[in-house]
Formats: sequence, structure tokens, C-alpha cells
Amino acid sequence: MAGTRGDMSSAVYRLEYVGYAYPGAASPFTLEVESLNVDPGEILAIVGPNGAGKTTLLMLLGFLIQPGRGRLEFQGSNPWASDASVLQARRNAVLVTHHPYLFKGSVADNISFGLKLRKIPEAERPELLRSALALVELQGREKESVSGLSAGQVQRVALARALALRPRVLLLDEPTANIDAGLGLRIEAILREVSRESGTTVVFSTHNFSQASRLADDIVYLSGGRRVEFSHENCFSGTAATDGRRSWIEPRPGVRIVFPGERRGHLTCIIDPADIRLFSADDGAAPSSGPNVFAGRVTRLETTDAATALIRVSGELIFRATLPVGELEGKGISLSRSVLLKFEPESVEVVGPQTPERSHD
Amino acid sequence: MIFRELALAVWVSLKTSGLAALIASALAVPAALFLAGRDFRGKRLVLLINQTWMAAPTVVIGLLFYSLLSRNGPFGRLGLLYTQTAMTAGQVFLILPLIIGFSYTALRQVDARARLTALTLGATPRQAGWAVLREAKYALLIAVLAGFARAISEVGIAMMLGGNIRNATRNITTSIALETAKGEFRNGVVLGILLLIITLGINILVQTGLHGRDKG
Repeated sequence: MAGTRGDMSSAVYRLEYVGYAYPGAASPFTLEVESLNVDPGEILAIVGPNGAGKTTLLMLLGFLIQPGRGRLEFQGSNPWASDASVLQARRNAVLVTHHPYLFKGSVADNISFGLKLRKIPEAERPELLRSALALVELQGREKESVSGLSAGQVQRVALARALALRPRVLLLDEPTANIDAGLGLRIEAILREVSRESGTTVVFSTHNFSQASRLADDIVYLSGGRRVEFSHENCFSGTAATDGRRSWIEPRPGVRIVFPGERRGHLTCIIDPADIRLFSADDGAAPSSGPNVFAGRVTRLETTDAATALIRVSGELIFRATLPVGELEGKGISLSRSVLLKFEPESVEVVGPQTPERSHD
Repeated sequence: MIFRELALAVWVSLKTSGLAALIASALAVPAALFLAGRDFRGKRLVLLINQTWMAAPTVVIGLLFYSLLSRNGPFGRLGLLYTQTAMTAGQVFLILPLIIGFSYTALRQVDARARLTALTLGATPRQAGWAVLREAKYALLIAVLAGFARAISEVGIAMMLGGNIRNATRNITTSIALETAKGEFRNGVVLGILLLIITLGINILVQTGLHGRDKG
């Protein structure tokens, strides 16, 4: 988990009881992060549903908003100490926003923007520009107007614009949302490469659980503006067996997680909490048999988000599921109740030596 | 009208109105940037007053400045009445709300993400403000040109504050008024056409220059 490994004093970010509330009564949303440390070179994923506070946390980490309370340290000091220090911190931690904006003009104009602000000599800019564009596979497109770019190209130019600045920290708000899966995988590869080659710390938000597991060293789970203790309940590993039509792993002897297709080798299976259906044990409609049906007891029920309940079911395996708060009563789900849960084999995200077969996005 | 007199009238028009457009823009664009970027109590009232001010007749502004600058007025001892300075001051007052209004609309139409994006890339708040202005530069240019066109084509302020003094404060529009009063309608029409040609020429020059710089 983020915040539990590495030397605390060398952390890039250190957050203690950081709180932020949007000004104005119209927005009651608040973000509260009790503790978070991010180590140099780490890839950290911030995972959570819409409205969980992912963007707000990234804005805090990018020093675009100031915490209302608590302590936020960047590279061992308070970035908000002065205008100069916050500007310096902002120039070290560059955020690529969700639906990034490109300034009117050419691709080169956009990538040069931050370089000019940093007073990078004009002679050095073309090389930085070319290498950044090569990283996102847009080489030779410098002079192209941004008005004709596709959504995926906009995303890549925005990424190149940030990469050209060689920041210590790269912050990305849902970098693969709204683009096709192939490009999403390419962006993931770029982030891995940037982290590995230059030691850049990468913090990205996603609602895609499997992407976070694939890419990140650590995961922070947010719900309703609060950091929720993340555990790997829905993440299971094992050696796959197959009958040719379906495959399965056995995280515990005799307990199978089944998924479609023929897969072999050591695999990790991830089940999105939203794909798990819950039934009270005495519900007549509850499935009694079939693949991926598990019995258990509700051992945690959190309703930190006004709309969604996070439910932990402990049985032979431990699962985390989500359910609209309004459905809890109707389904007879409450703390300590015996429940059955089911998910379709097609809902299982398989991560292994091969390219993942499907993506939620 | 002899040629020298005509050339001087054109020069007075260009000088007073050009200066008025520059001064008004320097005040109006930052004001519009402030209004477009912030929500505060009373903002709607400020915009309403600005809109009303836009409709102020030139003779009313001329009269207001006349009462301020006349010998018995609070600024009478400055001796500015019937000077080009007074004409410029009156025209600044005339076109200020126009440029504020147009600039405000232009800046409101800039994508809200532009400022944030500039900040994420390491801009200071001032640099981020410049980035927003750059995103609206064509629309802002139109605002400035509209202000200039309004100033160069008005007659009430020029007449009341300039006094239509030959070879001193007479400009194109007061010349047209004078020629028309004398019954020299042909001269008046020629001067009117000249005014339109000058305005067209300036528009073409500025816009061509801006596009050329973009391509370069």
C-alpha cells in the first residue's frame, strides 16, 4: 500500500490529515485524506467511482488547489510556503487533466508552452519536442494544427506536452478514459517506460480496477471523498487449468474462479466490485449452484458515499461488492447477514503473461 | 476644402481615435479579464451598468465632459477644453464600455480549461491570464477595432470638446457636419466615404498582420 513502504523522509509526497472543501454552499463535497505517502519513482493509482474525489486529490497533488487543513509536504517541504515555492512545486509536478485542453495553434506551440515558461533555451527545444512526440508516436506532426486532431491524438499531445517538461512527478487524471482500448494500452506502456527510464513518479486516477492492478505499484482507493482501506479481496492469483472452453484458477483448493477461453500459466483474476451480484441467503431467487457462486457473510458495510454501499463478504474467499444504498433494504443485505454472491465468468478480468483479453473501458 | 486641411482633419481623427482606442483597451481588457475570471457579489449590476453605459449618446458624454472641462468646471483650470486631449478623453469614456462588453463576451467564450491547463504547465497566475487572452486574441482584436470604429465615427464629443477648430481640432466627422451645414453635400459624402475607406484599411492591415504572424 502507498504510505507503508520506503523511507518516509524521502517521500515525494507526504499527506497528513489533509482536507479540502470546495468553496460555496452549493458544493458540499469534501475530501479527507488521513495519510498518504508517495515514494520516488513509484506508480500510484487512485481508484474510485465517479465523485469519489480522485480529481480533487490530483489537483491537490498538482498544487492547483490548497488544502483547507492538514499537512501536505512535497519533497520534504511545504510547497505552499510562498508564491515562489508553489510555482516551483507546480513545475515539478505536471498534471494532465481529464479531457485535456490544447491551446489554439500547432502541436509544437502546445509542447513549447511549458518549455518557454521554464526558459529552456530555444536551441534545446526542438530536441525535447521531437523526443516527446516520438514517445507518444506522433513524430513529424509538430506543425499540424491541433484543431484537426482526434480525441486520442489530443490525449497523446497533452501527454507529450507534459513529458517534454521532464517533470519529477507526472499526474494523470483518467489518462485512458474516452479513448479506444488499444491506445489505452499504449499509454500504459508509455507510463511504465517513463517511470522505468527516468524514475518519474507517476500518479494516475482511474475507475478501472484492473488497469490499476496492471500498472501501479500501489493503489489508493477513494470513496465519497475518503480514503477507503484497500485490500485485494477481488484479486486472486493461481495457476490456470482449462477444459478448452473455460479456464479456472483455484485460489484455495477446490474453490474455483471460472473465466472463458483457454488460458494457462500463472494468472491473476480481478473481479470489478460492480459486477458482483448479491443475494440474501434466504432469497428464493438466490443461485444455489453454477460457476462463480460463493457463500459468505457481510463483514463490512460502508456507506461513505451517499449513493453507493461498499460491502465486504467473507467466506471461502473474501470479496468486495458495491450496491446502491437504496437497494440494501430491498435485498435484505445488512451487516453480519449470510449472503450469496455471483458474477459471470465474462466479468472476470484476467491478467497474466499474455495481453489482457478485455478491458472494462 | 484644400488638401492640407483635409489631410490634417484625417490626421486628427486617426490620432485622437487611435489613442482613445489604445487607452480604452489598456483599461478595458484587464477589466474584462477580471470580470470573466471571477464571480463576486454585484457582478451582474456591474455588467448591467456597463451595458447601459454602452448606449450613452455621444452628446451626453460630450456635455458631461464639457461641464467638467469648461472654465467654471472642476477641471477648468487645466485648459483642456477645445483640445485634442479633451476629444481623446471623451472618446475613451465613450468606447470603454463597448470594449469591456465585447472583451468580456470574448473571454467568457474561452474554454474554462485554458487557464487551468496553463497553471498545470507551470504558468504564474499572470502568465495564465496571458494564455487566456491569447486564446481570445481574434475576438479581442474585434473588440478593439469596434471601439476604434465607434470613436472615429462619432461627432458629438469631437464637436463639443474639440470645438471644430480649423487646423487644430477639426476631424473628419466635424468636417462632414460643417460641410453639410454649408450645403456642400458632395464634400460631406466624399469625406464620409474617406472615413469608411480609412476604417476598412485599418481593419485589413491589422487582421492581415495578425494572421501572417500566426502562420509565421
